[in-house]
Amino acid sequence: MKNSLILLSFIFIFSLNSSAQDKFSTKQGTVFFEANVPSFEPVEAKHENVSAILKNDGTFAALALVTGFRFKIALMEEHFNENFAESATYPKITFKGKIKDFEASKLTEEITEFTIIGTFSMHGKEKEVKLPVKVYKKNGIVYVSSQFSLKPEDFDIKIPSVVSKKIAEEIDVTVNLQLNKM
Amino acid sequence: MRNLKKILLALLIVLIGLFIGYNYLYHDHRDISSEEAEIKVNAEKLTKMFQLNEASTVLNKTVVVWGKITEIEDNTFTIDGKVHCTFKVLPASNKIGDSISVKGRCIGYDDLFEIVKLDQCSIL
Repeated sequence: MKNSLILLSFIFIFSLNSSAQDKFSTKQGTVFFEANVPSFEPVEAKHENVSAILKNDGTFAALALVTGFRFKIALMEEHFNENFAESATYPKITFKGKIKDFEASKLTEEITEFTIIGTFSMHGKEKEVKLPVKVYKKNGIVYVSSQFSLKPEDFDIKIPSVVSKKIAEEIDVTVNLQLNKM
Repeated sequence: MRNLKKILLALLIVLIGLFIGYNYLYHDHRDISSEEAEIKVNAEKLTKMFQLNEASTVLNKTVVVWGKITEIEDNTFTIDGKVHCTFKVLPASNKIGDSISVKGRCIGYDDLFEIVKLDQCSIL
């Protein structure tokens, strides 16, 4: 009797522990950005291979390989890689942070707004940001989405004056992640 | 008459210029599936190339990689747990455990999952 009680409490503690360390992840997250200026060719790209890991306590990490951004116009993609993002030198864009007041196990199907505080690292520069995120959970999958703006100058990305009129000063970014339990 | 010829010639030059300019600005995307692969290795070796700081030799290059399918998710295969391949349309006939060769474009090394990622993949 005593033994089984001990065993039971062990199982209980273990199960608590496992839920506290639950992880959700994806390798196929999408990031879309646009820097459109009216009446010029649209400057936009999509990435469908973004990796992300979210822990139960809101700890979050994401990684986008710069070369994976696809533009509609091939020349734009080449310029983006060679002149702006310099993907050969800086192959990754990463984000590390934590969602405030978050607990994945308490998520419901209702979309809830949270704030994530973290650091973007791109083009050899880092920037701390505070961004809004919308999160919900359905059939065990955690859905995370966010929309925000970034300035290329914050990451030391210089837009040559020849094309600066064709690229917006602020880049609008949309992130969509479907995180499966690991 | 001579004037007309000059005008026609000038027009032709302008048209050719426009044509070249347009083709430069709007040239097609690379077609990875028809490109000759520069690197042909197994999944393990491809991952090693990144650990050995040989990234520049494979980044944005067309590669052929082979091994066993260890995971199928959405429109992707993972080969030997080390190389993640994204297809436009996933080949329906392959299943976990199959030995395959895949051609794709290497977009880099993902240190979150410790895998190499390929996009625009096709089965060989």
